[in-house]
Amino acid sequence: MLARVAHLLPLELKTLLERLPESMQEQLEEIRIREGRPLEIGFRGQSRFMMMDGSLRQAADGAYKPSADTCRKLLERITNYSLYAMEEELRRGFITVSGGHRIGLAGRTILDGGVVRGIRDIGAFNIRVAREVIGASAHLLPKLIDRTRKTLHSTLILAPPQQGKTTLIRDIARSVSYGLWPSLESSGWQGRKVGIVDERSEIAACVRGIPTFDVGPRTDVMDACPKAEGMMMLVRSMSPEVLIADEIGRPEDAEAIREASHAGISIVATAHAYDLQDARGRPVLQKLLDEGAFKYVVELRRTEQGIMHRVVPAESVIGRTSSREASALQRLASESVHALAGRHRADDP
Amino acid sequence: MIKLLGAVLVLFAGTMIGFQQAAKFAERPRQLRQLAHALQRLETEIGYGHTPLPEALERTASATPEPLAAIFRKAANGIWETESFSFSDSWEQAINENWESTSMRKNEQSVLIRLGSTLGISDKEDQMKHIHLALLQLKAEEDAARDDQGRYEKMWKSLGILIAVLVVILMV
Repeated sequence: MLARVAHLLPLELKTLLERLPESMQEQLEEIRIREGRPLEIGFRGQSRFMMMDGSLRQAADGAYKPSADTCRKLLERITNYSLYAMEEELRRGFITVSGGHRIGLAGRTILDGGVVRGIRDIGAFNIRVAREVIGASAHLLPKLIDRTRKTLHSTLILAPPQQGKTTLIRDIARSVSYGLWPSLESSGWQGRKVGIVDERSEIAACVRGIPTFDVGPRTDVMDACPKAEGMMMLVRSMSPEVLIADEIGRPEDAEAIREASHAGISIVATAHAYDLQDARGRPVLQKLLDEGAFKYVVELRRTEQGIMHRVVPAESVIGRTSSREASALQRLASESVHALAGRHRADDP
Repeated sequence: MIKLLGAVLVLFAGTMIGFQQAAKFAERPRQLRQLAHALQRLETEIGYGHTPLPEALERTASATPEPLAAIFRKAANGIWETESFSFSDSWEQAINENWESTSMRKNEQSVLIRLGSTLGISDKEDQMKHIHLALLQLKAEEDAARDDQGRYEKMWKSLGILIAVLVVILMV
């Protein structure tokens, strides 16, 4: 995994990280670089500080500290020596580089009439290594299929950050697009036209409009496009049968999802939330769930054994306005689906 | 007979030296003008095209005559070759390597190197301001170079012949 992002790193940083044991390099998920502060790396959901000699410790004393010069070189490299062409990215606070790796940025913001216009004096970077896990959705897909229409039901995937949401929906897109339905009853169904709205360029990792991850032969990607607009554009222009979007949550996203579901399109979307209860605390998601825009809600949780998922029929929790009632019902629902709960281990957690 | 041949050779050599010196004075403002055009092109690519710097430099190089094009091309390729990973290093190296083959002087060299230390590391408005500043400085150099051309180009042409004639007269 380190090899995939090594070309972005300044020499000093690269040599240091290459001292990590091979197995650790493979499991690398995050490299957090903060100017003048200890270098932190993340793997398998844990994080450690990196010492000068390449060893990893939980305590920060004596850790390697990247210099201002190293950070400047890193910034030049990840912006392709063109900070001026990254205004939109700086406004959003992250840069996606070829290969789908996302680099989060933090620093002093520039305001323009109260609106963030960009980040100046960038002092912290978080390199998230993108990974493609083929077959990540194999255990989940059979629970989401719509037998009458021979496609997927609309599904909302909930998880906190870093649980593999994007990896999962990328694999869903790929499987649906190829027509690789992983259960007996659905074998022989044809693939479906898939539309991906890839606002952060993470799902398909497009470079000049062409996906670098395998997202399937029947897939169209609207790259770096605001989700709401992108969904409407795809519905109008590319007639998708399954629409995939990452991290929904704004009111206009809900509007677009409503439109698309009325057009008979199945939607697979993800949202940041710990669980259903949490999601219902967000007005936009609650409204969508109440309206029945999603048939299923999937909660993802990463554990020592791999990634666990739990499928909850969204119907079982709609139409409840009282939060106490809803939570009681949700508990019931989650207990009843516990038997259904699937578990799978990704080849590469 | 041999004396005559020698005289002709001396005359020819003197004239050529004079013309060559004069050509340098004529070449400098022309290259400065080309350099200004190249920077304007770069400004357009950066300011309106949002083209990433390496690609913007390549495009500028393809629209610029040699030997200036070599500087831009080298600067664009250099960033992938140098381990130092900094654009200003690659830019400076490209300028220093190719400067000999141009007719330009130290002043415009330092203007370019200063520009290189700011390219690509700030927002669009800032980039355009820096390029504008470099263009103004180059314009001043170009004006001075044109003055020099008017003053010294003719002088060198006649000086070459006259010195050759003097040598011939002294010889016979």
